[in-house]
Amino acid sequence: MGLLPFFGFLLLFLLVPAISVFQEALHNTDGSFGWRSMKDAFTGQNLDAFKFSVEFSAFAAFVGVVFGTLLAYAAATATRPRWLRNLVASFSGVAANMGGIVLAFAFIALIGPQGIATKALKFFGWNMYGGSWKLGSVSGVTMVYSYFNIPLMVLITLPAIDGLRPAWREACTNLGGTTFTYWRRVGFPVLLPSLLGGFMLLFANSFSAYATASILTDSTRIVALRLGFYLGGDVNVGQDAIGFALAAWMIVITAFAMIVYWVLRKKAERWQQ
Amino acid sequence: MAAVNPSRRGGRVVPNAILIVAAFFFLAPLVAIARFGFQNVPTVLLGWSSLFKKWTWDGITGAFHNRNFGPALRLSLKLAVGTVFGTIGLLLPTAVWVHLKLPKARGLVEFMTVLPYMVPGIALVAGIKVIQPHARWFLNSPYSLIPYYVVLALPFTYRSIDAGLRSIDLRTLVDASRSLGAGWGTTLRRVLMPNLRTSIVSATFLTVAVVLGEYTIANLLLRHTLPVFQGTYRADSPRGAYALSVLVLLGTTALFALLTVLTRRRVPKLSNLTDATATAVVPVSSGGPE
Repeated sequence: MGLLPFFGFLLLFLLVPAISVFQEALHNTDGSFGWRSMKDAFTGQNLDAFKFSVEFSAFAAFVGVVFGTLLAYAAATATRPRWLRNLVASFSGVAANMGGIVLAFAFIALIGPQGIATKALKFFGWNMYGGSWKLGSVSGVTMVYSYFNIPLMVLITLPAIDGLRPAWREACTNLGGTTFTYWRRVGFPVLLPSLLGGFMLLFANSFSAYATASILTDSTRIVALRLGFYLGGDVNVGQDAIGFALAAWMIVITAFAMIVYWVLRKKAERWQQ
Repeated sequence: MAAVNPSRRGGRVVPNAILIVAAFFFLAPLVAIARFGFQNVPTVLLGWSSLFKKWTWDGITGAFHNRNFGPALRLSLKLAVGTVFGTIGLLLPTAVWVHLKLPKARGLVEFMTVLPYMVPGIALVAGIKVIQPHARWFLNSPYSLIPYYVVLALPFTYRSIDAGLRSIDLRTLVDASRSLGAGWGTTLRRVLMPNLRTSIVSATFLTVAVVLGEYTIANLLLRHTLPVFQGTYRADSPRGAYALSVLVLLGTTALFALLTVLTRRRVPKLSNLTDATATAVVPVSSGGPE
């Protein structure tokens, strides 16, 4: 079987670590098997953190979906200059992979307290740091995440928009439909799986991001950072099952989002041959 | 383009505005970090008169002279090379096999390649920490990061190789090569790889970009890679760390350009493959133009 090395590799370096997390998480504090830690990791402050992270990631994903779709539509419908569409597609491929600490650095240089945009806005009379706003607040982190979320959405919706056949538009017009009818009855329903799928992918992306967030803020309300604190504090096996339970819940949430994404993606591909 | 009524008046105002705002949003942070890294003027003093003053390399030279920089760079470069070879070595035979022998398994394999998205990097670290006591002989080496980086880059790299395989007449090439007496190894190296160079180049680029940007796993497993150095060096010299970040970004982009030029020169006519670049960089989108 030619697929054996590939499956074996994934098993060893992805599935085994993932399963080990669950194995550790399913221990009580005294080391016996049980759901205790999983429950503790989903109550009290931990539960608040999960609620906050899910809401925040959904918000960031929503922003990415809206602007990503708009940008993809603008690029796909541009006839001049000809290279524009390819430029947007290629740049999106690069920017979608841009994350980590460098992205955080770039935004600190732009709109951190000493950033040049902060300075420019102050010149126009708008002091970003006059109130309690920080780059590490929800809107700030969302903006930074949008730097990779928007391009990712562009990559998802470009082929979907290309899949809208001009003939459908003509058919709709011939049957007496207006632009609004076209979008409501044809365009939007065809794009919908791509939009929802994109939302799930962007959600998972925002929910699991650690490096960028760790530079921007030290808020323990972000689950990824919370888990980072557990892991940085030299977790001993068996002793701190709560940390592993946090990781286990993170995997459950992202895996759920990705499975929904996968199903929607298969639906979306129907119109993209 | 599809579904747009060209006769609509003023229909381009909003899309053009979106494109301009987007260009600004995506370029401004890059400009800002470059200014911070290469200009020795505090933002407070920045104004029209000081805009072109005190541009300097000393941030970056300072970083170069730090004694932790050399080892970090060397480690990251070795990890990058190892991950590239690991990725190509694992994915190319797998993708060829799927295309030739098991087209039915394509969906399954594709699904497997998005699995890394289901396990957040930070959760993967938790898993590695569990395994650590049982596999010290392996995980004590900094190079043990390589297989995890191969996994991390998988969603991007598999897509680019898969797109490449779709754009060539795989079966004919393989049959021709095999009937001339070549074994599988020779066929892969001398027939398929030259034909797939565009997608191999973009897979390489994506892999290098992943390795040179990965912070979470390396930092929490206490491996002193280049991104981890960038993170800690910022406390000493923010300007140096920012300048270094710009250099890494430019370096990866330059590498991509260089590889593209180098691999294109040998066979100038590759009309059916040139399109694959655009498709190939697309990581998770649902199937590019076919």
